[in-house]
Amino acid sequence: METYSPLALTRRHFLRNTATGLTGVALTHLLGPEIEAAQRIQHHSPKAKQVLQIFCPGAASHMDLWDYKPALEKYDGTPLPGAEREVTFQGKNGNLMKSPWPFAPAGQSGKPISTLLPHMSGYADEIAFIHSMTSRSNTHGPASVFMSTGFVREGFPAAGAWASYALGSLNDNLPAFVALIDVRGEPPNGKANWASGFLPAQYQAVMLAAHQPIRNLSRPAQIADAEEQATRDFLRRLNEAHASRHPGESELRARISAYELAAKMQMAAPETADLSREPAHVHKLYGTGDGNALKAAYARNCLLARRLLERGVRYVSLYCASRASGIDGLLNWDAHRTLKTDYERHCPIFDQPTAALLTDLKQRGMLDDAIVLWTTEFGRMPTHQEGTTGRDHNPDGFTVWLLGAGVKGGVSYGATDEFGRRAVENIATVYDFYATVLHLLGLDHERLTYYHNGADRRLTDVHGHVIRELLA
Amino acid sequence: MRIGNTIRLLCMTAALAFGWLSFDESSSAGSSRQTPVDFERDIRPLLHSRCVECHGANKQQSGLRLDHKAGAMKGGMGGAVIVPGNSSTSELIRRVSSADKAEMMPPTGSRLTPREIALLKAWIDAGASWPEEKIAVEAKRADQNWWSLQPLARAEPPMTEGIPRLWAGSPIDRFIYARLAERNLQPSPPADRRALIRRVSYDLTGLPPSPEEVEAFVSDSDPRAYEKLVDRLLDSPRYGEQWGRHWLDVARFGESKGFEQNHIINNLWPYRDYVIRSFNEDKPFNRFIIEQLAGDVVGQGDPNVEVATAFLVCGPYDAVGNQDEAQKQVIRANTLDDLITTTSNAFLGLTVNCARCHHHKFDPIPTEDYYRLRAAFEGVTHGERALATPEAKARYAAATRPLEERRAELNKEKAELQKSLAARAKEKAAQVAGYPLPKITRHFNEHRFAPVEARYLKFRMLAHSDNPKSAVNARLDEFEVWTPAPNARNVALGSQGAKASGAISRRAEDVAGADAYGVELVNDGKFGERWFVGAPAELTLSFPRVGTIERIVFSHDRTAGPNDPGAGLGPFVTEYEVLISLDGQTWRRVADSTTRPPINEAHLVERFSRAVMTEAERQRIGALDDELGRINRELKAIPPLPLVWAGKFEQPKESTYTHKGGDPLRRGAAAAPASLAVLERVVKPFAMPEDAPEGERRLALARWIAGDDNPLTARVLANRVWHYHFGAGIVDTPSDFGYLGGKPTHPELLDWLARRLQAHGWRLKALSREILLSQTYRQSSDYRAAAARIDASARLLWRFPPRRLDAEEMRDSLLSVSGKLDLRMGGPGFRLYRYLEDNVATYAPLDQHGPETYRRAVYHQNARSSLIDGLTDFDLPDNAAAAPNRIRTNSPLQALTMLNHSFTLVMADALAERVKREAPQNLSAQVRRAFAVSFQRQPTAEEERGALELITAHGWRAFGRALLNANELLYVN
Repeated sequence: METYSPLALTRRHFLRNTATGLTGVALTHLLGPEIEAAQRIQHHSPKAKQVLQIFCPGAASHMDLWDYKPALEKYDGTPLPGAEREVTFQGKNGNLMKSPWPFAPAGQSGKPISTLLPHMSGYADEIAFIHSMTSRSNTHGPASVFMSTGFVREGFPAAGAWASYALGSLNDNLPAFVALIDVRGEPPNGKANWASGFLPAQYQAVMLAAHQPIRNLSRPAQIADAEEQATRDFLRRLNEAHASRHPGESELRARISAYELAAKMQMAAPETADLSREPAHVHKLYGTGDGNALKAAYARNCLLARRLLERGVRYVSLYCASRASGIDGLLNWDAHRTLKTDYERHCPIFDQPTAALLTDLKQRGMLDDAIVLWTTEFGRMPTHQEGTTGRDHNPDGFTVWLLGAGVKGGVSYGATDEFGRRAVENIATVYDFYATVLHLLGLDHERLTYYHNGADRRLTDVHGHVIRELLA
Repeated sequence: MRIGNTIRLLCMTAALAFGWLSFDESSSAGSSRQTPVDFERDIRPLLHSRCVECHGANKQQSGLRLDHKAGAMKGGMGGAVIVPGNSSTSELIRRVSSADKAEMMPPTGSRLTPREIALLKAWIDAGASWPEEKIAVEAKRADQNWWSLQPLARAEPPMTEGIPRLWAGSPIDRFIYARLAERNLQPSPPADRRALIRRVSYDLTGLPPSPEEVEAFVSDSDPRAYEKLVDRLLDSPRYGEQWGRHWLDVARFGESKGFEQNHIINNLWPYRDYVIRSFNEDKPFNRFIIEQLAGDVVGQGDPNVEVATAFLVCGPYDAVGNQDEAQKQVIRANTLDDLITTTSNAFLGLTVNCARCHHHKFDPIPTEDYYRLRAAFEGVTHGERALATPEAKARYAAATRPLEERRAELNKEKAELQKSLAARAKEKAAQVAGYPLPKITRHFNEHRFAPVEARYLKFRMLAHSDNPKSAVNARLDEFEVWTPAPNARNVALGSQGAKASGAISRRAEDVAGADAYGVELVNDGKFGERWFVGAPAELTLSFPRVGTIERIVFSHDRTAGPNDPGAGLGPFVTEYEVLISLDGQTWRRVADSTTRPPINEAHLVERFSRAVMTEAERQRIGALDDELGRINRELKAIPPLPLVWAGKFEQPKESTYTHKGGDPLRRGAAAAPASLAVLERVVKPFAMPEDAPEGERRLALARWIAGDDNPLTARVLANRVWHYHFGAGIVDTPSDFGYLGGKPTHPELLDWLARRLQAHGWRLKALSREILLSQTYRQSSDYRAAAARIDASARLLWRFPPRRLDAEEMRDSLLSVSGKLDLRMGGPGFRLYRYLEDNVATYAPLDQHGPETYRRAVYHQNARSSLIDGLTDFDLPDNAAAAPNRIRTNSPLQALTMLNHSFTLVMADALAERVKREAPQNLSAQVRRAFAVSFQRQPTAEEERGALELITAHGWRAFGRALLNANELLYVN
């Protein structure tokens, strides 16, 4: 019978069993070059090095933002053919309901974009739209987690965790994966969207926002600089003496280094988060001083996202809105009852700051290295919900998009039917989406695996194909 | 070589079959660039995107398939299309290069680019290497002969030549030594007593030994000193807390529901206490298994046993609800999948869950086995049930029944009175000729009154659309107060300087800087966002100055159309009074809702009942209400039967079916509760009818799992015990004994341990005792470079493997060394977060951890998706899924938490207080005491000198903070 052989320890086995690493940082001085190489997985040459994932929680309506449906105008107020009074997540649906706002052609391509997004429409020629995205759940929590991790259940690593596991950080002094939380709170299922799942804890995102620094980052106020230094010096001496009594234990050295890295992070993170270092015209571009406090807060997070990417953070998840509340659509894009009011609240928050972020990234040449993803957990029904002027959940067809490094601009991949009810052409899945994102990062989604409880797990489960039509 | 790894390597390297491609384009420039053609990167995607649509699984034009190797090499009706090594004679190249419309491929769409054609040529010329398909790789898999599926072997502990005398006496040591000897490894000398007591104390209790315990053990000359120590620790109540925590990891125990709403569960802690109690009592584990799967059946009426079924329902589940029928079935299937996964992983080390959509890819588990398990659990739902003895239930019924009967009588009398009142109220209402103002609507209500000077206005709300008696919880999106025309102005606006005040019935505390339901929403000039009216239901507006006003306008949802029912938006105000004041003290009513028709019959009755009620009726209703109130108070005072989140069980309404492809909407054959086919050769099977009684199904399954003839259960459990003692199991994937799992380092020892476990009557303490008394366990942990070169992670145990403390051990240690640890056991847990609930739950980490949190971390209320300072960063597992082995990472964020969270500072101060109290003599004695409690040793002279300097210059906190951050405290040797 085959049994364990200590010589057969692979690097992978080593990582799996000891999981000794840092937040994707400076493994070289800790574990030797071999581990460093094992950690930085690369399957082919990457087109992109960084990811910015903008997430609009609550299920932002595809046919009211990106996916123009003239048939909704024509058949407004009539039943959806073949699906009269269909029962979806919250119950019965009424007749077809046109978008409350006109669409206007944008860019060279003339791509129709909702007039609710005047700033974003300027990017129509650079965006690769997927209009045929589908989800496996019609419920916010599972669907958000599905969009973030590839699984409808909690406990799986977020895409950003996979990326930081595979690629590590580009900056030793900052976390590799950051979740920028909206001022209105966490998205549905909260931290499960940026968890490391079964990957080691250092690959989870560090939560941060312009209004909320990294937890425990600062030295407590009552501790003076001299005391801090003296404590650290004494601690280092204790640890050095301890390590020399235990020669060969590389983990002890790694931990000493971790304290040094923590000190560097204490310098680098506040500098990064200090938006006052940006000139006035940049603040104006983003709208950080806007009278709409929610827009200003999101704009500050957008600006912070740029500063994080600029300093080498590998994966930034930027949230625009939060969770379900006591008023539908108040805190997020979940417009069950009053689509018009809700989106006239959310779109102005989203539009200018996001477009400004793209402009800024582009001007700085950062889109040569970064991909921008725009995602939401599912779409909405082309009908109105019975007794309301809102739309119910629709996991059968919706829009997400990509832009930036390695992405072909001005592409519209896949399509929903004439009403936007379900994807009918080039039906895409979250697995395809992340297979494509990983591909751009130089990773093969079928080969990026991690053993857990009986399976070699992947971000894309056992599915997914790279959508080559989106690649530049 | 481990087969699992081999396969994975195959999967990874199979893609590296390549040829070489030289670009003709560049050769003209004189430099022929050579690039390897990678099949997976260059060829498969090309075939896939350009050929497979017509030559693939769905269509095979001309009989040709290019989606797998066999098809591509066989060719189509016209013969081979690929001639390996010769692109010029390969039909494939001819066709893709052809310009002839009748022949060219692909027949439509764009042509292949010259580069793509060049790639294909280069690939064929290099031999058209096509790696074996994944499916072929997967054909290498476990069958019924797989090691873990065999009966327990009876291996004799080998007596290896040269074994040290001390090792020869113990079977465990003989097994271990034999493997070491095979690899030319020598075991390590025994650990010193200081290290040993620290090691075994953490192992069995999760806490460091006190300096006194260390000294007593070090100086104990009794040859049985160590044995006595082990026995003392096994008897300690701390043992159950430490080892119970291990089981909670395996049971994916979490005290919130998970998923979107993630509401907290406040009555699951009795299961945590049950687990701790079971470990402390050393309950036979086969009994423990049966109780967790069917405690309601075997222990009916005994709350201490019935609570065990919480095992089934302490995982996450989607509680949101869904009107979509298909989604409902998917959610139910996912909920049961969690039970199936946990049960098969925890007890059997089988990943039966991998057989949900298809037969297991690597283990001989047919998909039917998955649905057999599902059939056993079909009647389980998440929820709480009353756990009480029959006597307690009878006592409760005896106490409540008379009160409930009396309450029913009173309610009946009251209802009759109200019925009569209602009839007269309606008559009275019918006499009203008309109302000057229209009926209240959701979207717009205007009320004019005689112009009046006011500095303050009070809108007193008396009823809302769902409750004619109270307006608490009504919603109001805007409230306007207008001055007379011309130049009518809304003076209620906040932007005009007016201030609104009023209570709220709901709060969204996680929304930074604003309240989502606050009263300021009513005078912000925006519609659609609503104030949730609290108690008292009053809105008070204060204007910046006295002015004349003459009307109010208010709405629930001004954005809605007149006929919009506003379903789900909550109730709107229906009855009200408007009062004004100049000084905020004396109020005058200027308008009320009696000028409008009541919105419905209930409102009408409420309004007119007051007018038609006789004095006698008023008194009688008052008396009835008094007595009802008294009865309700008495009922409330009777302690309710304890409700525990231990699951609910009911007979399934229909049979269980297999789901084709795992899709609940595609039903396959019916599946009855039965034993798993994967083990049919070794374990006595059982089979039940499809409609077997619900509880019997789980009991039969439990007995089958816990039977002495089930080799997996005993092996998996013995391995877990070993895993927790040594940091790694004999199988290093403790919940997966299948093909993808680890292989045993010592298969004979594992079976020997499993048999010992059974011989000990499935009692873990006896097995642990044997392990702990072995020389293997008592070895030094010192590193030896030569041995490490052969076995770096010491899986073969040439030394005791050192480890970092786990999250709970870390926190408990800080509390313990600082003298603050509160050892009270059991009961509701404490929280290291602030629980916020507004539709969904949010867990906000706490900046201060007060004394109520100084209990052992196992008593922390363990919510899902929460971020806990000092625990999450130290790898407290995400309890969305089982964590059969803890990860131990090292990150700068841990350093930040340990240095900067106020908990560390408070503990550092407490440590200082403790050592000053315990060593009052002088500073040196205090420093030595601090080292002794933290590290179980005295400081070196240099350390003592450094500490004295540090304390003198910067105080005790500077020193304590360093000690609590030291590696020496965090690692066990």
